[in-house]
Amino acid sequence: MMINRRDLLKLGAVATGALFTQGNVLAAPPVSELSSGKDFSPKTGLQRISKPSACWQCVTRCPNIGYIEDGRLVKVEGQPRSIRTMGLICAKGQAGVNQVNDPDRILYPMKRVGKRGEGKWKKISWDDALTEVADRLKTLRDEGHPEKFMFHYGRMKASSSKIVKQFLAAYGTKTIGNHTSICEGGKWTAQELTWGKHYDNWDIDRSRFILNFGSNVIEAHTNHVPLAQRVVNAMVNRDVQLVTFDVRLANTVAKSTNWIPIKPGTDGAVALAMCHYIMNEDLYGEAGRDFLKFCKVTKNPDATIDEKIYALKQHLAQYTPEWAEQVSGVPAHKIRSVAREFATHKPAALISYRGAVAHANGNDTERAIQMLAAITGDIDRPGARCRGVGAKWKYPHGAEHVPKAKKLDILDGFKGEVAYPTHHISQQVLDVIRDGSQGRPDVYMWYCYQPVYSNPQVQQNIEVLKDEEVLPYTVCVSPFYDESAALADLILPDTTYLERWDWEDMVGPNQVPEFYIRQPLVKPMGEVRDFKDVCCELAERMGFPLGYSSAEEFVQLSCEMTPGIKEAGGFRYMVENGVWVDPESKPNYYSYKKEIAPEKLTGEGVIYDEETGVYWNWHESKAKSEVEARTKGYTHTKNAYKGYIGQSINGTVYAGFEPDKLNKSGYFEFYSSLLEEKGYPPLPTYTPIPEHEKMSPGQLILSTYKVNVQSHSRTQNCKWLTEIYHENPAWLNPEDAVALGIRDKDKIRVKSELGEIETFAHVTPAVVPGVIAVSNHCGHWEYGRVASGKTTPDSKDDTALEYKWWDFNGVHPNWIIPDRQDPINGQQAWMDTVVTVSRV
Amino acid sequence: MTMNGYELTWGVPVILYLFLAGVGAGALTASASMFLRGGPTGRYFNIARYGAFLAAPLVIIGTGMLVFELGSFQAGHWFKFLNLFKVINLSPMSIGTWLLVWFILISIPYAYTFLPKNAAPGDTFDVMRRLLAWISVPLGIAVAVYTGVLLGAMPSRPFWNSPILAMLFLLSALSTGVAVLLLINTIMNRNNPDPGSKMDAEHANYLLAESDTLLIGLEILVIFLFLMYAHLSVGSQREAIKVIEWGGELSLMFWFWVVFIGLLIPVTVELFHTIPKIVSHKEVVLHPVMIYVIPVLVLFGGYMLRHVIVVGGQITGPLGL
Amino acid sequence: MSVNTKESAKSRRKFLKNIGGIAALTAGATALPKAAISKITKKKVQYGMLIDTRRCIGCHACSVACKSEFDVPLGVYRSWVEYTEKGTFPHVDRSFLPRLCNHCSEPPCVRVCPTNATWRRDEDGLVVIDPDICIGCKYCIHACPYGARFLNPVTGAADKCDFCMHRITQGLEPSCVNTCIGRARIFGDINDPNSEISHRLAENPTTVLRKEMGTKPNVYYIAAEHADEHDQKYRNEYISVKTHRKEKQRI
Ligand SMILES: Nc1nc2c(c(=O)[nH]1)N[C@H]1C(S)=C(S)[C@@H](COP(=O)(O)OP(=O)(O)OC[C@H]3O[C@@H](n4cnc5c(=O)[nH]c(N)nc54)[C@H](O)[C@@H]3O)O[C@H]1N2
Ligand SMILES: Nc1nc2c(c(=O)[nH]1)N[C@H]1C(S)=C(S)[C@@H](COP(=O)(O)OP(=O)(O)OC[C@H]3O[C@@H](n4cnc5c(=O)[nH]c(N)nc54)[C@H](O)[C@@H]3O)O[C@H]1N2
Ligand code: SF4
Ligand code: SF4
Ligand code: SF4
Ligand code: SF4
Ligand code: SF4
Ligand SMILES: [Mo]
Repeated sequence: MMINRRDLLKLGAVATGALFTQGNVLAAPPVSELSSGKDFSPKTGLQRISKPSACWQCVTRCPNIGYIEDGRLVKVEGQPRSIRTMGLICAKGQAGVNQVNDPDRILYPMKRVGKRGEGKWKKISWDDALTEVADRLKTLRDEGHPEKFMFHYGRMKASSSKIVKQFLAAYGTKTIGNHTSICEGGKWTAQELTWGKHYDNWDIDRSRFILNFGSNVIEAHTNHVPLAQRVVNAMVNRDVQLVTFDVRLANTVAKSTNWIPIKPGTDGAVALAMCHYIMNEDLYGEAGRDFLKFCKVTKNPDATIDEKIYALKQHLAQYTPEWAEQVSGVPAHKIRSVAREFATHKPAALISYRGAVAHANGNDTERAIQMLAAITGDIDRPGARCRGVGAKWKYPHGAEHVPKAKKLDILDGFKGEVAYPTHHISQQVLDVIRDGSQGRPDVYMWYCYQPVYSNPQVQQNIEVLKDEEVLPYTVCVSPFYDESAALADLILPDTTYLERWDWEDMVGPNQVPEFYIRQPLVKPMGEVRDFKDVCCELAERMGFPLGYSSAEEFVQLSCEMTPGIKEAGGFRYMVENGVWVDPESKPNYYSYKKEIAPEKLTGEGVIYDEETGVYWNWHESKAKSEVEARTKGYTHTKNAYKGYIGQSINGTVYAGFEPDKLNKSGYFEFYSSLLEEKGYPPLPTYTPIPEHEKMSPGQLILSTYKVNVQSHSRTQNCKWLTEIYHENPAWLNPEDAVALGIRDKDKIRVKSELGEIETFAHVTPAVVPGVIAVSNHCGHWEYGRVASGKTTPDSKDDTALEYKWWDFNGVHPNWIIPDRQDPINGQQAWMDTVVTVSRV
Repeated sequence: MTMNGYELTWGVPVILYLFLAGVGAGALTASASMFLRGGPTGRYFNIARYGAFLAAPLVIIGTGMLVFELGSFQAGHWFKFLNLFKVINLSPMSIGTWLLVWFILISIPYAYTFLPKNAAPGDTFDVMRRLLAWISVPLGIAVAVYTGVLLGAMPSRPFWNSPILAMLFLLSALSTGVAVLLLINTIMNRNNPDPGSKMDAEHANYLLAESDTLLIGLEILVIFLFLMYAHLSVGSQREAIKVIEWGGELSLMFWFWVVFIGLLIPVTVELFHTIPKIVSHKEVVLHPVMIYVIPVLVLFGGYMLRHVIVVGGQITGPLGL
Repeated sequence: MSVNTKESAKSRRKFLKNIGGIAALTAGATALPKAAISKITKKKVQYGMLIDTRRCIGCHACSVACKSEFDVPLGVYRSWVEYTEKGTFPHVDRSFLPRLCNHCSEPPCVRVCPTNATWRRDEDGLVVIDPDICIGCKYCIHACPYGARFLNPVTGAADKCDFCMHRITQGLEPSCVNTCIGRARIFGDINDPNSEISHRLAENPTTVLRKEMGTKPNVYYIAAEHADEHDQKYRNEYISVKTHRKEKQRI
């Protein structure tokens, strides 16, 4: 590229002018005055074009700003206007540049020409592609079987979710799968069973103590950048302690005041023992006592607080710290001291994530952890574990006519195996389809998802996806040629996230909602199309237009419809600024304490349920009549929770803990009659993981985890990230290594009931003896040259790749992880696999 | 290229450069001093001539290697290296560059004085030759020393950061320079029918072998000092020297190829050749093969020394942070 | 690049010189009162960075920001992060050490450069490289005791962190600073007693790397972990230093 040196010289002068106007020519500008939101080319000195948008490298979806030079996206930075991220984005966010410019991405619709999975493709036109898809879908719909179109998504949020689901609703299928049960769905179900709606935010800015069970918030978490920086601030600026239970020294542990190593799957035991200690020592305090008013601790909804305390102590008597030490390996004195610290530093944030819940006993672990937070009053108050607050957009409602949707019963695993799969059981979908007895889809389409790779038992997933008898027609919607795309019949090339429109709504870390949008930073490459636009077109082609013709229009309409944004300047404002926060908004706490106005209790259809103390409107449920509603009662009427109005406690009706997905009462339910009915203990209980009870000596537990610079299976095509992290050797404690005769860097074989992988040992004291830890980010065999060394059907030359210097791309652990779920909620037990390890 | 997790930014071209510049400088010094020593009769005229012919090309090829290793050259900016000549500063490389320029500027006319077929002592070039020879001796030494200073000047490289390195490079340059003359002289005189000049040549060879023995002896001493000082120091140097100590990454290469093959064997054979004469004035005639093998070993050892030093310096670093 | 070497060499150097510093003086001279001018001549700007490792979470936002800002090729690094792990289970610790050029006040890299392609800017203390003059001899790469320099395979010239000169002269923070998730990096003029970096330097005990080299670094650290893998032999303790760079060892 030619450099205009004259400009450079001029710019030098201009620059100083700018400095000068800031006041002090001599001094470096004070950091507080240094602005973001601008960038200059180091080559030409010219300002780069900037545009606000939003990240999507992980679910946190931080607002960002993209910089464009010579029509190419060259840089992504944080959005200084964002109160969530305070202008920061992480390494993955910045590497979004590599997603757009990935020389191996798919730029044209591709149709398989060889056998499925053979890797032979031809480019086809969008018209041909959509004609093919629309024909198939229309036929199914006309035959009265729209449910035979299964749509399976991974990450689909905010406006994407709305548009795509409006399309699917208008089409008439409810055979819509997601990925939540391989993610953290079990945590959500446990919350639905206990405090109602899910997604807990941790109000770190106001916390005085942070107790962490298995959250790697400094490296991962679904609200990563907002929370990670707040944890650092709390620790360094306010001396807040962070005590972390983890099976390995994650970077979160590295930053913690205290690492408490723990045996996998035993967090529940420790949490219960802490509850035991806090109750026995009466450390729960005023706040805890007060909070118990809103808790259900016994079958009787009208129990007094003393009765509740008594019942709790009774239940917890068995869970002594000494007992927990036996189970978890955490010394009893540590359990006591941490419990005391936690109970006496108020407010405290009790945080937990997949390390605690992605186990076969995760449901009760999460419930025990919620109980621990509740008995000290650390729920929904400043500085505690709160209910997430996200932006509530208004948006177009979709097609005029929405048929009654039909659904194949293949989303929730094998019938009757799991009690409350409220977030489905995605890891079993392919297995259930193969089985066939619960039905099979004719068209299987996936979106932002990797059915082959992200699920357990990779080999079986491959076999099912390859089998044309079982799955006659498959469509992959993705910008990239991943392991699943390689097995599709048709690939519809999606835009990358920096080439499309969305409004976004991810939860605020400080209990205040933030509205923001994603807009294309550059023109979509090749012929790629935003799948949302494709949905609009498909709907039109099949005769049920959605009422808007593109995602852009949908976002535009939403901006004009949403109060506050409209007044601020609507779509134009958002396009220019990216983010809007209501200046009036106040942090949201204590919503459960709100009293329900009496007139709301006397409205049409509102009835009172004696058994639970719940006021609810039966019209919103599936009950056919008031009589039916009253006889079946709140708990047993399908969808009764949708009519929930309030919880009566000692004669006052409170908003309480509003239920979601399950007919839970408005209490914070330690005592769950829903669980009791399914034969599970109603109060949080510790159940050992069955496989772990049967381990033979020398066997280890395989744990999987995420690292700071990779997202799932999705970012390994980003050269700047994969350069940093491209190998995932297995962490092994020296104690185990010696016993197994393994040295650092040795090639090892890891064998489970399902099969074996060969990888390398990383012998380190940073992992608990008895555990072998392998991250789930490496080991691609497709996904382009950066990720796997392999080209794709649409690879282009890229001289920058000449400098790629690594060849080995690690080993994927999911080959040997069996699908195994928590029997209560269907959560995939990622961290439980028992393996035998040997030197190769 | 990486080795043991270290990046080798200076590779084979630099090793070759250090080696060839050393041999060239050594050859020039040897040539000039032999010439001067030969007196007005020009007893060692032929030897001097070979040296004069060799020095410039060796150094020019070496310098070419250096250019080849330049990042600018590899990125296609063929003549950017000329920037070297736009400045002169205290960088050992800048000084070295100018030394090389002078070396080439002197060694070429010096060689030129030997060029005519009938070049002989006392010919028209005699004065000039003599003058250039006088300049060549210190110039050759300077170039040889500078290669060591180049590496030795950096505290960031404890393995190199020793004044002894310059001495070592000087001795190695001289001994390899002498060796190459020995080799050439032997080759050129293998079928020499003239007994007189053949005897001169043999005498010259003897003289060369003798100086070589001395040089190698000194080199061994300097290596000993290099090792001992580093070994007896604490910290970075002590740690760095471990790469060539027993068990170090380069230890085999160093002890076997550099010390045993490149120094001990030649010096033993040469001693076998020279000692009897010194002690008992007995003529020991070397096996003809030996006369070829010895200088080759010395040259090879010289190359390996550069290799070990260049690589060793790059795979070690300061202790602590 | 297809520009004439000689011509460009001149102008790039001028650019490097002018950007910020010198031009600032001229601009200032016309507009500032006399007192200010004399102040200018007295106290020069010395840019520096303070890295508070207590706040660093090892996230590599800085590493990638820097790659992106300059499109730094694979295999070479202006900015990197080292992880130091030490101890015995369960008393194990990991700490993070972000690294970059120290913009030394006594830069050994500059002293060895045969072409004057690299120098320390008098006006603000930045140690810069003019790629149009640099011949890529790599001498400076060896001379830097911090492994901060590399040969850029695209330009064929030595390269390293330049404190984002093109940004700071526009009143912006360096790219790695502006995205630091831990807000561990503070950039500014350490000669200005009122700058944030000066305040922080005054308030906290700090160290520099390899002080004994006499390089006078201008990158300071709070609570830096100075342990090195070599120390294992002397301390009889597990110490592992890992970096994501292609070269896995510290220089
Ligand atoms: N960098 C990065 N960030 C991400 C993602 C990503 O892929 N990469 N993904 C996003 C998504 S979708 C999610 S769901 C979140 C997940 O965020 P997290 O749940 O925080 O991350 P994980 O790595 O899945 O697991 C957390 C920790 O649990 C530990 N662990 C394993 N078993 C146990 C146990 O039995 N007990 C305890 N106490 N700890 C245990 C692991 O060692 C690991 O450090 O992150 C989100 N953010
Ligand atoms: N062993 C083990 N396995 C795990 C986990 C674990 O901790 N351990 N974590 C699990 C968790 S928490 C989750 S959330 C899942 C995530 O698993 P998935 O939902 O499958 O998500 P990703 O792997 O992020 O992305 C899937 C694919 O989406 C495609 N994609 C990327 N960008 C786009 C886009 O813009 N549009 C479209 N249409 N497609 C795109 C890419 O081809 C990518 O391969 O993985 C789970 N898998
Ligand atoms: S946390 Fe997630 S959304 Fe935010 S910048 Fe990082 S990858 Fe992007
Ligand atoms: S590589 Fe360039 S900057 Fe470094 S010493 Fe050589 S010429 Fe100077
Ligand atoms: S850190 Fe290295 S490159 Fe930077 S100024 Fe100091 S010596 Fe030079
Ligand atoms: S200051 Fe700029 S060049 Fe230096 S490390 Fe930071 S981003 Fe890279
Ligand atoms: S961005 Fe900041 S917190 Fe992250 S590794 Fe770099 S210095 Fe540390
Ligand atoms: Mo997830």
